[in-house]
Amino acid sequence: MNFPHLIWFYRYLWIGPHVLLLAVATAMFRKGQHRHFPIFFSYLIFEFVMCCILWPMAYFRAPVEIYWRFDLLDRAGDIALRFGILQELFESSAAGSAPWYRNVARMRNRVTVLLVILASVVFAALYSSSLNHAFFANYAIIEAFNVAQCGLIVLLLLWHRFLGLRMSPFAFGIAVGMGLAMGLEPFQIMLRYSVPARMGMIVDMMNMAAYHGAVVVWFYFAQAREKVPSDSTAALPQLIEQAADMGRIAHL
Amino acid sequence: MTPLIILGLVASVFLLFLILQVWWRSRGNELALAAQLTPVDLEAFENLTDPEEESYLRHNLSPAEFRSVQRIRIRVAKMYIAAISKNASALAFVGQSARAHSDPEIAATGQNLVQQAIRLKVWCVLSATRLNAALAFPTVLSPSSAIASRYLAVKYMAASLPGKSAA
Repeated sequence: MNFPHLIWFYRYLWIGPHVLLLAVATAMFRKGQHRHFPIFFSYLIFEFVMCCILWPMAYFRAPVEIYWRFDLLDRAGDIALRFGILQELFESSAAGSAPWYRNVARMRNRVTVLLVILASVVFAALYSSSLNHAFFANYAIIEAFNVAQCGLIVLLLLWHRFLGLRMSPFAFGIAVGMGLAMGLEPFQIMLRYSVPARMGMIVDMMNMAAYHGAVVVWFYFAQAREKVPSDSTAALPQLIEQAADMGRIAHL
Repeated sequence: MTPLIILGLVASVFLLFLILQVWWRSRGNELALAAQLTPVDLEAFENLTDPEEESYLRHNLSPAEFRSVQRIRIRVAKMYIAAISKNASALAFVGQSARAHSDPEIAATGQNLVQQAIRLKVWCVLSATRLNAALAFPTVLSPSSAIASRYLAVKYMAASLPGKSAA
C-alpha cells in the first residue's frame, strides 16, 4: 500500500531529526558539554553524516546491496558509539575517577556481556528461520546489542538511584532519549512481523517518530538549565550541620 | 510468535520504567532522599558486631540460647546498616554539592567524599548480604564491624566541610 499523502511527512521524519541533531550539537558546544560527553557529541555528528549519505542513496534509488551495506555500517556505528555513551554516563558521576571504581567497571562489563548473550538467545529464536541469510543474521546481532543496551540504561538509572547520586539533567536526558529510541525498536520488530508488508512504511514512520522524540528530548535537556545544584547548595549547610552532629554523636 | 510477545512485554516494561524515572525525577524526589541523615550510634553498632562480645556470649550461653540472641543482634545490626546506607546516599549528595564549590579545596574534598560515600554504600550492600547469611547460620558466620570505621572516616570528611567553607 502506498501512502502518497504521507510521503512528505515520511521525508520530514527522516531528515528533520537529523537536522535537529545539529541543533543539539550546537547547544552542547555552546555550553561546553562536548567536553563532558565527547562520545555523545561524536554520535550526533556521526548520525548526521550517515543521514547525509543514506538519504540521497534512498531518494535516488541506489542499488539495494550498497544501501544495505551503508545501513549496516550506520547501525554498527550506532551500537559501538552507544556503548561508549553508556560508559560515559556511568562515569559521569564523581565516582568515575576513583581507582576502586575500576572493579565496578569490570563488573559492569561482565553484566554487559551477559545481557548481550541473553538478548542474542532471544533474537536467535526470533530470527531462527532467516538466520541463514547473512543480512538477517547481521540485523539479529544488531537488535541483540540494542536490547542489551536497554538493559544497561536500566542498570545506569538504578545504579544512580541506589547510590543516591544525582545525574546532571543532560546526562539524564541522554539516557532517557536513548531509551526512548531503543525501547521502541522491539515494537517495530513486532509490528513488522504482525502487519502486512504493504504497511511497512507506517512501521518505519513509527520508528522514525520515536527517534524524533528522542532527539527532541536531547535538545530539551541540552538547553535545560541545571536547576538542581542551586537547590542542593541550599540544602548543603543543613546537611553539613547534620553530618557534624552525627560526628559528635559518634564521639569523633 | 512467542519470542515476539516476550520482546513486546520486555519493551513495555522498559518504557514504563523510563516513564517512572522521568516522573520520579520531575517530582524532585532525589532532593528529598538527601534531606535527612539518620543518627547512628556507632558504639552500639560496634558492640553488636564485636567478635569478643560474640565469643563471650558463645561461651556463656547454651547453643540454642546463643543462636536466638545472635539472631536478635544480627537483626538490629541490619537496621544499623540500613541507616548507614541511607546516610551514605545523603553524604554522597553533600559531596556532589560541595564538588561544585568555587573553592578548589572544598571541591576536592567534595569529590573525595562522593567517592568514599559510594564505596561505603557498596560496602553496606556487601555487609547486608553477609548479615543475611549470618542470620541463617548464626553459629558459623559472624557479622563484621569493619564498616563502622569506614563510616566514621566518611562522616569525618563530611564534618570537615563547614570549617573549610568558612575559611
